[in-house]
Amino acid sequence: MGFAEQVLPVLAPKIRLALDQLRRIVPGKWAKLEEIRLRAEQPLQVEIGQSFLVTGAGELTADPEQALKVGGADLLRTLQLIGGNSLYTLEEELKEGFITLVGGHRVGLAGECLVARGTLLRLKRVTSLNVRIARELKGIGGVLLPFLAQEGRPLRTMIISPPQAGKTTLLRDLIRSFSNGEGLSAPAKVGLVDERGEVAGCYQGVPQLDVGIRTDVLTGCPKREGVFLLLRSMGPQLIATDELGRPGDLDLIEEILNTGVGFITTAHAWDIKDLTRRPSLQHLWVQGLVERVVVLSRRLGPGTLEGVWDGRTHEPLLAQVQRLEVTR
Amino acid sequence: MKMIGALLVMTASTFAGWIYSTLLKKRLTLLNALIQSFQWLETEIGYASTPLVEAFTRISGRTQEDVQLIFSNFVEALQDPAGLTADEAWQHCIKQNQETLPLKAEDWALLFDFGRTLGTTDREHQVTAIRQTLERLQLQTTGATEERKKNERLYRYLGVAGGALVVLIFY
Repeated sequence: MGFAEQVLPVLAPKIRLALDQLRRIVPGKWAKLEEIRLRAEQPLQVEIGQSFLVTGAGELTADPEQALKVGGADLLRTLQLIGGNSLYTLEEELKEGFITLVGGHRVGLAGECLVARGTLLRLKRVTSLNVRIARELKGIGGVLLPFLAQEGRPLRTMIISPPQAGKTTLLRDLIRSFSNGEGLSAPAKVGLVDERGEVAGCYQGVPQLDVGIRTDVLTGCPKREGVFLLLRSMGPQLIATDELGRPGDLDLIEEILNTGVGFITTAHAWDIKDLTRRPSLQHLWVQGLVERVVVLSRRLGPGTLEGVWDGRTHEPLLAQVQRLEVTR
Repeated sequence: MKMIGALLVMTASTFAGWIYSTLLKKRLTLLNALIQSFQWLETEIGYASTPLVEAFTRISGRTQEDVQLIFSNFVEALQDPAGLTADEAWQHCIKQNQETLPLKAEDWALLFDFGRTLGTTDREHQVTAIRQTLERLQLQTTGATEERKKNERLYRYLGVAGGALVVLIFY
């Protein structure tokens, strides 16, 4: 089942029809679809390398006048379809601001918020909706694996990259490889704390994307609690988490360090230079707490590998810029 | 010949009276089954936060056959590729069954009302809406019970008596 069968049925009929046409007219573009964006009273928009508008007949355009206008009712209907017509089951999601679909695709939400005493209770009216297509590129991290383990032990690794450069896709594949023991001397038991649900794309708790056969997934759990829960309960050899970003997330790395297990995670930074400028990340770099730093960019398109650095010596181990490819 | 005609008239009118009286009973049975089903629904949504399709499928598997019909029609409509909202699907399934099931217009009206917020609000409001519907159903049941007590025999007697009257007049 391709992503079309997973994503199109949850869109309001009018939008579904236009996108289905798009799929027929330009299948090549459709295959590279990254995002579908719906905003109340704004033209229907898709991201395919760049931003395009879509007409009612499914043609790509730059002219907002020609493009299909998304009404508030279309958004509401889409939201209801996403929630299986049972919005009460999405209370947590409406608070977090995203919903995961079958297939691990993520729908981001924005709109009018319901707030009590300064805390966000949930979104009460959704006016923006962003469907991000989850891509599985199995084997894309193959070229990196030799650098990320030593004598069968997974090293403490951090992937840094700007947005949309494929860090989650890479992280997912690396987790899968470690978990299956693919391209490594031995497999590792992996504990994945997927706070935002993006890595494993859990739908009703079951990973929709392949994260390997020895991976225990904790989804929707705050990182800190999640990591320690897994350490206590599942005895992982490698801890994986999605993007670090909240204050305190980075302290977590030091704490994991004390437990002796490997970890792999991602953080947002443009490059090594940028890394050394960010106070919290800089600490990790200067102290050499991370053993490997993998840097991605969009220079040659999403999934461009800028290099792999040794986090302790600060020497590059692989400095050749290349586009990561499926090598399996 | 006259004898046979008279017999036919008597049978027909008695039968009509009997049908009317059973309709009262059927309505009551259906209302009671609806009450039970809505109580189950309250548990499914209020405690387990079960999505509508799952909740209604589960309930229709163990409820009385008329309610089963309404509920399973609703599930079908919800899964329709046209992408109906819960309200639209609910209205659709009510309309589908309105003609054949022994409920009164006011019963249907309260069921229609129930659909308005179905699936669109948070759990708390869903439960409130279900409870309101339950209260209204209970009220209807009380009315239906009284009506049945009062009229069940009446309809039967009327059937027999009406037949007898026609026979007497034309005999």
